[in-house]
Amino acid sequence: MKDKVDLLDKFEKIASNRDQLTAVGRDPTSIVIERIISPTEAIIDGKQTILVGTNNYLGLTFDPECVAAGQAALAEAGTGTTGSRMANGSYQPHLALERELADFYGVAHAMVFSTGYAANLGTLAALANNGDVVVLDADAHASLYDGCRMSGASVYRFRHNDMGSLEKRLQRLADKAGRTLIVVEGLYSVLGDRAPLREIAALKSEFGAHLLVDEAHSLGVYGAHGRGVCEELGVMDEVDFVVGTFSKSLGATGGFCASRHDVLPLFRYASRPYIFTASGNPSVIATTRAALRQLAKRPDLRQKLRHNAERLYRGLEGMGLRLGADVSPVIAVRFEHSADAARTWERLLEAGIYTNLFVPPATPDGSSLLRCSVSAAHSDEQIDTILERFSEIIEPMRSQAVRG
Amino acid sequence: MSTLMERVVEAQVEKIEATLEEILAGSLDSSVGLASDTNFVTDLGLESIQVLEFVMEVEEHFDIAIDMESLSDVHTIGELAKVVAGLIRG
Repeated sequence: MKDKVDLLDKFEKIASNRDQLTAVGRDPTSIVIERIISPTEAIIDGKQTILVGTNNYLGLTFDPECVAAGQAALAEAGTGTTGSRMANGSYQPHLALERELADFYGVAHAMVFSTGYAANLGTLAALANNGDVVVLDADAHASLYDGCRMSGASVYRFRHNDMGSLEKRLQRLADKAGRTLIVVEGLYSVLGDRAPLREIAALKSEFGAHLLVDEAHSLGVYGAHGRGVCEELGVMDEVDFVVGTFSKSLGATGGFCASRHDVLPLFRYASRPYIFTASGNPSVIATTRAALRQLAKRPDLRQKLRHNAERLYRGLEGMGLRLGADVSPVIAVRFEHSADAARTWERLLEAGIYTNLFVPPATPDGSSLLRCSVSAAHSDEQIDTILERFSEIIEPMRSQAVRG
Repeated sequence: MSTLMERVVEAQVEKIEATLEEILAGSLDSSVGLASDTNFVTDLGLESIQVLEFVMEVEEHFDIAIDMESLSDVHTIGELAKVVAGLIRG
């Protein structure tokens, strides 16, 4: 019998979900930054707004040296590379950036991808194949899940940051330990909690597996040199592969994998997301290199970021709000009901504060939350303004809830 | 007519289904009637994230590891029981 379902029918469900979202208030996916003013300010809905949902951890997007490096590269090397590195050749700066990243991590090799998403897809697809095993933290980013799927490996999830759960899976899969890759993130991007990497590295060594850590949100944020949570917790030597992105603390686009293993350069022949896409634009590569230099020579940015994270976290905590467990530049303000989260998000926006709204199924544990991401570029006054607005909006909602 | 081996497997799957129903009932609010053909999404309204949480409980209970690919065609209690049975038999 002929199937009555049409290819386009599935979009009815998507449209209905979107309509539900917009029926209760402002659509959080339709925000337009009418004009960006600085790393921490923009015009949204015609109004000057403090941005506290940008992942711009070091505030380098308007750094004069980064901007100048991008402008110079644009003038010297043009707008785009118009092809892939395998077929059309690498520009010298792509190779220079790879060398600089390897040196930054103190490892032999690094490989640059065109986006952070492609870095995770490309690394996992090259590294794990049919017959291999990936043991993945349940809260891992979608790009890691997609990379696992693309790899063809058997994928097993363990409970988020639960070492008992990880150990049990490694035990059950012990006969394949040598071809097992443990995949975790340094700093988790929704709740702002860190992976217990010392314990994970110990389990990896005990079972003889391999370890990949995604430092997308922790590069430039943690560690004496800003290498990430691996450095902060002293496990750099036990991590086999570090992946990350240029799109957060480095204020550009692109991604990378760094490793001490000599097989990494061979990924170029085995990684479809590396092979079949255009290489990073010269201006993007140039601003990334400049930002990496800033990150390395300005530890004051990390200190300021920590100061700001502490100030915002303590202030929100003082209002009795339910937050993630760790003080980090990713601060999740949690709500019991998604409608309360949505209402708070919208009122904050009306009051000139931009945060990120997360509702199920985009949240790891089915809760609803507002994600605040702090920047080193925030002033104390801006942090205090954010806290004041939160307080003004939360308090009436709370007393209303008490009155029932 | 089914062979002895098939009947043994069927009995094992039924026993696993009963255990799965017990585990699932423990985490559900309502007392929905659970059966072999109960669909996690269309009957119970579970989000995919809740299904995966349930699967992790099942893994702990049976001390097995279920890979995500084997779950791609699993929609009901009966289908999950078959996957579990396959892993227990090794």
